Amino acid sequence: MYTQFLGNYLLQKGLVTQEQLFNAMSRLSQTHIKLGTIAIHEGLMTANEVDECLYVQTREDKRFGEIAIARGYLDESQVEELLSKQTPDFVLLGQNLVEDGVFSYEELERIIFDYKNEAELYDLDLDVENQDAIENIISKFFLMAEMPTNDLNLMYLELMFNSLIRFIGEDFSPLTPMVLDEFPVTFGVSQGVSSDHEFITHIDCDRETAIAFSSRYAKEDFNEFNEYIVAALEDFLNLHNGLFIVNASNQLSKDISLSPPVITEEGVLSGPNKCVDFPVAYPFGTVHLLVCF
Amino acid sequence: MDITNKKILVCDDSVLARKQLVDAVNEVATGATFIEGKNGAEAVELYKKEKPNLVFMDIVMPEKDGTEALKEIKSFDEEAVIIIVSSVGTQEQLKKAIKLGAKDFIQKPFEKNQIKEIIELRLGGK
Repeated sequence: MYTQFLGNYLLQKGLVTQEQLFNAMSRLSQTHIKLGTIAIHEGLMTANEVDECLYVQTREDKRFGEIAIARGYLDESQVEELLSKQTPDFVLLGQNLVEDGVFSYEELERIIFDYKNEAELYDLDLDVENQDAIENIISKFFLMAEMPTNDLNLMYLELMFNSLIRFIGEDFSPLTPMVLDEFPVTFGVSQGVSSDHEFITHIDCDRETAIAFSSRYAKEDFNEFNEYIVAALEDFLNLHNGLFIVNASNQLSKDISLSPPVITEEGVLSGPNKCVDFPVAYPFGTVHLLVCF
Repeated sequence: MDITNKKILVCDDSVLARKQLVDAVNEVATGATFIEGKNGAEAVELYKKEKPNLVFMDIVMPEKDGTEALKEIKSFDEEAVIIIVSSVGTQEQLKKAIKLGAKDFIQKPFEKNQIKEIIELRLGGK
């Protein structure tokens, strides 16, 4: 999930455009991490040293590792260790952006450093996604929206990102959340969740985006807006909320129930208190996931 | 696998879930006749009328839910082969359905392999 959060960070800081981000994200599964990128990530080489070796590589028919050893930047055991390392996807995302010319290795080094610091990931083992770190980043989303965090809403948002990764695809970036008194509905599906108090969940997007979202969810190639699109949105929200109530019941010993999903085509959405809009950008459009507390 | 002459009742309030089940069965077997219902009351009526060989039944449905429909069908046909297709968050209802005589259950979102196993086991192509 660090990849999605890095995407959010890059967009928020204006370091990439959505188009550049999705372009780099779409190639995540097809590209391999390069030795130089891991060396920077592991702090064994600086970006300048990597650039130097890459330059040499264009003139000499040698592997990157051989050049780095010859120049004294790495020794053989370090090369071996780096080659066997599992590197997190977000570093791969950075590498793709460097290859696309969006920024240099030196800029990437600084960006990753700033990102780790701001997300307070610095001392954590990044090879394995860390639950504390994920919760920490998620709580920042509530902070951005000036919403108080609690176990329940942290869990809700984390599960929501997980559900998106699992059922729609990992090539998304969460955008900055907003707290609203009312949300004007474009088209969507709402579902009530009742626990200590009732809150409304809602998924909203334009019809073109709904077609693409539902196609991915149902693993079908829908090309017009029809009853299947609506049913897929209902199923997604129902499934995600179902996962939430199972988790919340198990971990927080809370008794939670769901109302049947309903289609909302117009009007405004409002809760007794506030609505938080968590927009999520996919290459095919932006989906608004709302929770009205 | 040829399951010609076998009738399958698919009961789910989601039109997409019904389509996906029908598509999944058609991928692993040919010749089945499908009957579709969108709530428990329809499931009971269609069962009486069509006497299907196999039923896929959702639990949470409007009007009459899947466990009530299951109970009612079992009351007049003990041999009914009913497979519960349950979404997450319905564990209690699922336990109830198994107690009431559901033959098996599949959790949504289901894998096509699960459907294949059910069809092979329950309809056996004969």
